[in-house]
Amino acid sequence: MKHLIPEFDAMRRRYPPGAESSLVLPCLRRIQEDRGYVADSDIAELAAYIPVPRIQVEEVLAHYTQYRRAPIGRWHLQVCHNLSCSMRGAEGALGHLQRKLGTEPGQTTADGRFTLSTAECLGSCGTAPVVMVNDAYHENMSPARIDALLQELAK
Amino acid sequence: MVEFFINDQPVQAEDNQTVMQAARAHGFFIPYFCWHPQLSVPGNCRICMVEVTNEGQAAGSGWLDIACNMPITRGMRVLTDSERVRARRKETLQFITLNHPVDCGICDKAGECTLQDYHYEYNGSPSISRDAKVHATKHFPLSERIVLDNERCIMCTRCVRFTREVSRSDALGVVNRGDHSLIRPVEDGRFEQDAYSDNVIDICPVGALLSTRFLHKARVWYLEPTASVCPGCERGCTVNIWHRKNEWKLKALDAKQNARIDRVTPLENAAVNGPWICNKGRDLAQIFERARADQCLLKGRPVDLQTAIASARALIAAARRPVALVSNWGSNEELAAYRQALGERFTSFVKTDWQPVSGEPLEDDLLIRPDKNPNTAAARALFPPLPADVGSAFPADTDLVLVWGEGFSFAQLPPRARIIYLNSWLQPENGHADVFLPISVMTERRGHYTNFEGTVSAFEPCFASAPGVAHAQDLFAALVTRAVAVST
Amino acid sequence: MTGRKLIMTFPVTETSHLLADYQARGGYQTLAKALREMRPEEITKEVVASGILGHGGAAFPAGRKWGVIKLNDEQPHFLCANADEGEPGTFKDRWILENAPHLLLESMLIAAYALQVRNAFVYIRGEFDLPYRRLAAAVEEAYAAGYFGERILGTDFACDIVIYRGAGSYVCGEASALITSIEGRKGYPRNRPPRLTVRGLYQRPTVINNVETLANVTAIVARGGEAFRTVGTAKSPGTQLVSISGHVQRPGVYEVEYGYPLAKFIYEDCGGVLGGGKLKCIVPGGISTKVLTAAEIETVTYDHVSLTAAGSGVGSGGMVVIAEGTCMVRLLQILLRFYHHESCGQCTPCREGMGWMHRIIDRIVAGEGRMDDIDQLVRISKANDGTTICGMGDAAGYATLGIIAKYRDEFEYYIEYKRSRLDGRLEVPQAEFAHG
Repeated sequence: MKHLIPEFDAMRRRYPPGAESSLVLPCLRRIQEDRGYVADSDIAELAAYIPVPRIQVEEVLAHYTQYRRAPIGRWHLQVCHNLSCSMRGAEGALGHLQRKLGTEPGQTTADGRFTLSTAECLGSCGTAPVVMVNDAYHENMSPARIDALLQELAK
Repeated sequence: MVEFFINDQPVQAEDNQTVMQAARAHGFFIPYFCWHPQLSVPGNCRICMVEVTNEGQAAGSGWLDIACNMPITRGMRVLTDSERVRARRKETLQFITLNHPVDCGICDKAGECTLQDYHYEYNGSPSISRDAKVHATKHFPLSERIVLDNERCIMCTRCVRFTREVSRSDALGVVNRGDHSLIRPVEDGRFEQDAYSDNVIDICPVGALLSTRFLHKARVWYLEPTASVCPGCERGCTVNIWHRKNEWKLKALDAKQNARIDRVTPLENAAVNGPWICNKGRDLAQIFERARADQCLLKGRPVDLQTAIASARALIAAARRPVALVSNWGSNEELAAYRQALGERFTSFVKTDWQPVSGEPLEDDLLIRPDKNPNTAAARALFPPLPADVGSAFPADTDLVLVWGEGFSFAQLPPRARIIYLNSWLQPENGHADVFLPISVMTERRGHYTNFEGTVSAFEPCFASAPGVAHAQDLFAALVTRAVAVST
Repeated sequence: MTGRKLIMTFPVTETSHLLADYQARGGYQTLAKALREMRPEEITKEVVASGILGHGGAAFPAGRKWGVIKLNDEQPHFLCANADEGEPGTFKDRWILENAPHLLLESMLIAAYALQVRNAFVYIRGEFDLPYRRLAAAVEEAYAAGYFGERILGTDFACDIVIYRGAGSYVCGEASALITSIEGRKGYPRNRPPRLTVRGLYQRPTVINNVETLANVTAIVARGGEAFRTVGTAKSPGTQLVSISGHVQRPGVYEVEYGYPLAKFIYEDCGGVLGGGKLKCIVPGGISTKVLTAAEIETVTYDHVSLTAAGSGVGSGGMVVIAEGTCMVRLLQILLRFYHHESCGQCTPCREGMGWMHRIIDRIVAGEGRMDDIDQLVRISKANDGTTICGMGDAAGYATLGIIAKYRDEFEYYIEYKRSRLDGRLEVPQAEFAHG
């Protein structure tokens, strides 16, 4: 985490005095962006850097769904299965991906390339069904578009 | 001051009190799990909901809300036991017991469990759920001292708030969300170092947090608490020492079980420790259940009490330069008796029976004090402390030293002086004294200690002392006057 | 045309979100007017006069919220834009973030000036990617142009803004959970009192407004509150960005003037039911509002009074169209799974109740339901009404009660025959991958 400290210092300056605690979420996001997940060592270092009680960092990691404490596949495919997406083909999209990847939601392909998950509403109901690929929204995901996506990602 | 009504009775409340605080101050009971007078208000259990109407509103047209966070407005009318409140409580208890294992049969908390009590008082009906209960860890070691049962936990967060607001170890938290939420200790093991950790066992309203030392040892209704004072340091926290009730002293049991300290809990005391004690106070059994001395000795030779007293009396009568080392574990009563009988005769110093043990917390800004003895204040009000250069306490011609209490190495005594030793514990020095007299410990008599701030607290006897063990208080007079009889 | 427009007043192009385009449309001139010609309390007065109701779901009068802030009380105040947009069916704040980020920023600057806020925040849900990047770019442009920082437009007004990204927690859309999240903690809502306008972010007076609510501030200050009222209805002034999805021919974000006939909106402006089928019901404003049947919407105008009178609400503006043939039991299963997943776990009725309802509906869908399960769902819903720390418990309850009240027969059928009367259908035949 040390190499990120200059960035964190710059972040810190943008918050009003006394608001250091706010750094927990953005710093964790940055650590995860950098490493791919949040390592146990990161927790102690971040708590000491800010500083906040270490338990606060542990609680935050366990509460928010976007944080990971272990690595996953190179491409995280999250299929929304909430209301509008389910009404516009999410089950089919998920099933299609399960068959293509040979994994269940929550699993990673053997070659470590793809991790498949379900997600709750992503705020993209008008272009359902939606698949989040790492950070990006992929909308209107018909089987054809899913196949094209997988081909693209496999490169 | 604000006037409002609870159950149609006028109540004068302080400004800034909540309905919960004002109700309690005036003797109205509103049930609570998560609320605690010494902790912040999370308002999460919802069992304290009451019915409220404002001045001028028709009865029955009000709303329900939690009392613990409710500010008081003039003329508001609070009902703590209306039909709607009762119905609401039943629903809340349905939710609380939804995933609760209800394994009272094997739960240590049974008999002193808030959930049990409220279930009987406010609900009594079985769960309407047809669904399997959510399972969680049954036996999670929160620390070496405390075991956590996540299924019994009702997520009141008292334990978490205690570590944030009182002990300040920040060592507990809630991980995950929803009904997968779990109390967990911080992953670096810091909860093991929290010197006040065991208080969470007391404040847990259910059997989720239990003492590993007390686990499955006794049903609480076999036990009774006796008021006492923790001798662990000069703070002198008042405690309850729990031991078997007389009527539960079964002959079939090992006699030791009838005469042991089963557990120690805080005895709430606004002047000294509030509702808390440190972990050392929990472990008083480690102090009091060491091997006891119960036999008088003359240079290691067993004798009866009267012989020993007579020998001691003779030594004292003949001594030209007697010096005494007074125990700072002596009670106020013992010290007064000592002073009365022997204070003039002996040049007396207060010794320090206990030094801090390696690894023991020395001092903090909560309760723990550096002097690990209970009555230094009272002893030093009477006599000076033993000087750091111990040798300077003994004039060259010291011919008799009376040592009272443990923690003093005889190697520091003038080699030619005779020794009278009063001690409770079975220790090698006992046999080296010219006269050894075994004495009682605080759990075997009534008395008072004075803490470092001058506050005096009382302790009561829990146990009888063994035959052959005298009370020091009675012994002192007998050591100067033949006429005083000492019973054991 | 769904009535007059206040926000979607320009064609969306590849550059319409950029500062130059925004300025060409008159952007930041209202900020200049506010800073140079108006006092803070005068701005709040206009917002009060406008009568604007919050667009996040609670419909609280924004001016009344602003009015609680005491000016010159010698303590920091905070302003937070709620861009968490997690209510299923809702994606209209996203439109503003992607296409009109400067409108939000200008409005926030005006609000910050009115409320004496030095540090403003936009809390944006962690999953949003393009909306975040557009907003972040807009913030950089605004700083570069001197609209943020010290001595803005040559006045004494100074303001900084931080975009705070969430990390996946629906409950952080609740105002008190939102600020607790900004404080770097779990998204745990707080009990009231104290109101957040008294003790909010870092225990300071804080105003939290939905993105769309704030986006209207520029128009309110530009035209004046009274003029704002001429749009919409008496009790629902202005417009609503409606995000419509589900079994609808033309899903998307539409700006609807309050008072516009709801049926007309759905059947004409949005093209009606996907594939030309019949309408079964709609979720009017995010899943936490009660469903309205096709018959019920015939007489409803899109505004707070009419929707509330019909037994539902404007909510978050997230409208979901449900065609005939959709299995409402499986639909409720999705909702209860969602609420269970998102419950923060703090308070008893929601923590236990959401899981309980989810387990019951799972059993029903698996063919293991019992007749009294329906009454249990009703009972649990009612036990979450007004008993929880935040509105999520109530929301789950309303969603459940609404669906059971109007489609109880589907539940009874499912329980009796251990299968859906409608083959468990959530999609209509033309719906599957309708985009090709």
